[in-house]
Amino acid sequence: MKAFWREFVRNRSGVAGLAVLALMVALALLAPVLTDRVGLDVTRAQFPRWQPPAADYWLGTDHTGRSVLLQTWWGARVSLTVGVAATLLSVGVGSVVGLAAAHFGGWLSGLLMRVTDFFLALPALVLAICLSTVLPRGIGTIVLAIGATAWPATARLVRAQTLAVEARPYIERAKVLGGGHLHIIGRHVLPGVFPLVLVNTTLTVASAIIAESTLSFLGLGDPGLVSWGSMLHEATLHGAVSQGAWWFLLPPGLGIVLVVLAFTLCGRALETVLNPRLRVS
Amino acid sequence: MVTVRISRWRLGLTLGALLVAVGLAAPAVTTAAPTAAAQGGTVLRVALTKQVDSVNPFLSITQAGTELGRLMYEFLTTYDAKDQHPVPALAEKWETSQDKLTWTYTIRSGVRWSDGQPLTAKDVAFTFNLMLTNDVARTANGNFVANFDSVSAPDDRTVVIRTKTPQATMLALDVPIVPEHVWSKVTDIAGYTNDTTPVVGNGPFVLTEYRANESIRFKANKDYWRGAPHYDELDFVIYKNADAATQALIKGEVDLINRLGPGQYDSLKNAANVTLNPAKGRRFNELLFNPGAATSTGVPIGDGNPALRDVKVRQALAKAFNLKDIVSKVAGGYAEPGGGLIPPVFVSYHWQPDASQARSFDPAAANRELDAAGYPRGAGGIRQGPDGKPLTLRLLGHNGTAFDEQTAPYIKQWLSDVGVDVTVQLVSDSQVNEITSGGKYDLAFSGWGANPDPDYILSLHTCSQRPNADGKGGTTDSFLCDPQYDALYTQQLAEFDQAKRAELVKQAQQRFYDLAVGVVLDYDNSLEAYRKDRFADFQVQPDPGGVIMAQNGYWGYYSARPVAGAASSGGGNAGPVIGIAAGAVVVLAVLAFLFARRRRATSAERE
Repeated sequence: MKAFWREFVRNRSGVAGLAVLALMVALALLAPVLTDRVGLDVTRAQFPRWQPPAADYWLGTDHTGRSVLLQTWWGARVSLTVGVAATLLSVGVGSVVGLAAAHFGGWLSGLLMRVTDFFLALPALVLAICLSTVLPRGIGTIVLAIGATAWPATARLVRAQTLAVEARPYIERAKVLGGGHLHIIGRHVLPGVFPLVLVNTTLTVASAIIAESTLSFLGLGDPGLVSWGSMLHEATLHGAVSQGAWWFLLPPGLGIVLVVLAFTLCGRALETVLNPRLRVS
Repeated sequence: MVTVRISRWRLGLTLGALLVAVGLAAPAVTTAAPTAAAQGGTVLRVALTKQVDSVNPFLSITQAGTELGRLMYEFLTTYDAKDQHPVPALAEKWETSQDKLTWTYTIRSGVRWSDGQPLTAKDVAFTFNLMLTNDVARTANGNFVANFDSVSAPDDRTVVIRTKTPQATMLALDVPIVPEHVWSKVTDIAGYTNDTTPVVGNGPFVLTEYRANESIRFKANKDYWRGAPHYDELDFVIYKNADAATQALIKGEVDLINRLGPGQYDSLKNAANVTLNPAKGRRFNELLFNPGAATSTGVPIGDGNPALRDVKVRQALAKAFNLKDIVSKVAGGYAEPGGGLIPPVFVSYHWQPDASQARSFDPAAANRELDAAGYPRGAGGIRQGPDGKPLTLRLLGHNGTAFDEQTAPYIKQWLSDVGVDVTVQLVSDSQVNEITSGGKYDLAFSGWGANPDPDYILSLHTCSQRPNADGKGGTTDSFLCDPQYDALYTQQLAEFDQAKRAELVKQAQQRFYDLAVGVVLDYDNSLEAYRKDRFADFQVQPDPGGVIMAQNGYWGYYSARPVAGAASSGGGNAGPVIGIAAGAVVVLAVLAFLFARRRRATSAERE
């Protein structure tokens, strides 16, 4: 672990990404402590509408007179939650399918991989839009829609890695010594596959956050929650462009860029640490 | 390594400087476009942000579609531009029999179709008889002929219509008259798109180009019986959203826009050469309470919350809404707080509760009344029904409709303040229709555009408009079925004395208000803007304070006059252009960075 950390710290962009991420997560978690949720309530909005940044509202106000800073702050919670939850779902499903397909082989592998191919061939955004239109509107639906569309890539990746690991002689020895499926997968295959899953997870979070923003921007998010995507949706719907209200459009946009960048940098750094071949000499 | 790094920065800076220069030069380039469009006669360019469903006048029900129909086809009578009373159009005069059952219209002579054929009473009779014999032809305007017994044309200038019972809307027949020599050859009305240009018509404009939701072009009808319009061509330019249309108006790419949001409208206040028209609209927004949906035979359908069947609960909830806040915050001040069903623009029929009857914003009273109605507050401040379950209501709205999306959080908070939990459901328009017609809602946003004649809006709340067992065969708005309301509705339809009818219409609105099956939230202004350096003399309806577009008539388009020397166009707004240029600079800087990195990588490999 120590060696891993030393290796990670050597990657400066990775450390920067991690620092940004830690700051964001800390701010998101502390939002209820540091700010007052009442500021998000439209009926108690206390500022004038469409105001540029000023001392009372550092990032200006929106079409209802609420502080954009406060919304961006609280929006981070939704974006991060959905990003992480959707990723856990998709990586979980993907890993199980990939492991099962590679380990058991035969007709099960064929069946699972055809299903994976089917989902891989479907345009992800269109499928996600369909799902979130048909299912009741809410944060759970968004997680499900993203999770259901993002897993096939993980499944393919995990299957390939599992096949590579299972070809090694020690797996054969474990089998000869009488190791059951659970023992082989749990004790021998998973440790070999896990680093890859970890890297994949970090990178998937980034795309899941973008997917969440896209769906919310299209107006398919939870109408009761502020997220970065829904802020952009409201900004365009209520004429922020005509108003020249850049302060309403930029903060959520930059928020998305920053979080996605941070996750990607961390993921790349992890990849470098775990895969010596990528290391620059 | 060092040399490579310097060259990367140099490359980025050069590209950046180049793009800034291009960006600053861009406004000069964009102004060239409008002048080219103005060649070959004067053109009024109108931004269209709503979809046209069809240009077949028998099928079109959307506002945008019927508006095109009003330009293509003349009506028997039309509505006056000043005060919207029915005035002669194709019918130059009319008379009624003693029993009010037979109406005789005299058709104007000398009117010609755009292909040169004379228009006769036969065309009028053909149009109405087509609607009487073909149920598809009744899709759009079937309510006008539902009570017709027969329509005939004894000679070329006389049309005789017999109705089954007296009908007060006989001078407000909103039915476009079509040419018999074209439409008699049409066998399948439902499949006839009516877009083989030029489309033969008799309105002030002739449709000469129609590609669904791409481009719509009209030529002025030089033989129009009121006289030719003052310009040569009328183009509808399709825009996906109001923001894009607003930018196009600022840049001079279009001359007239409507349906602006308060945000876009306010942003135009400082624009050069733009005149704003905050017209009184004929639309209202309302919030429906499901009073216990049922079919036309009284069989309950849907799953509305039983609490809302109690009129006392509905009246109490209605007091939790601050309509003034909706006007000032959601509508940006461009609206009037709601009251009766008929908007205030129709002065004679509009009803507003007086001080003694009005439900003002009073959460304390709402709380008291809900306590008294048997819904005490339970755990967490949420009220409980007689069954001990927390009072949770679903709020249904249209996804992507600015009013619904913006008002929903207000309603949720206001009801939460009186101890009612609300789940907001914003879904697609078709889903809203499906859910509401099945009665599967508790609260739902709705809204209608009223006509000068109040009959249609009032009919939406009668027992007979409730759907049949299949969910078809009626257009109910609220699932209201109240004998007293129905009686008032029937009386007004048969009342020919204008003052007495207005009184009945107001009583019906008051009954609706007291029953609180819906709360009219506000009457939106219709926000419009036009280029005063290009066109002038738009006739508004009603005058003053009315709309240019979306009229009950064609006056706005027909009366417009081009301003002398209008071909030159304004300077445009450099702001967005610079913004786009700045965006392009960022994108290209990133590309340059990546390109340089790539180069660095390859040179490293070479070393």
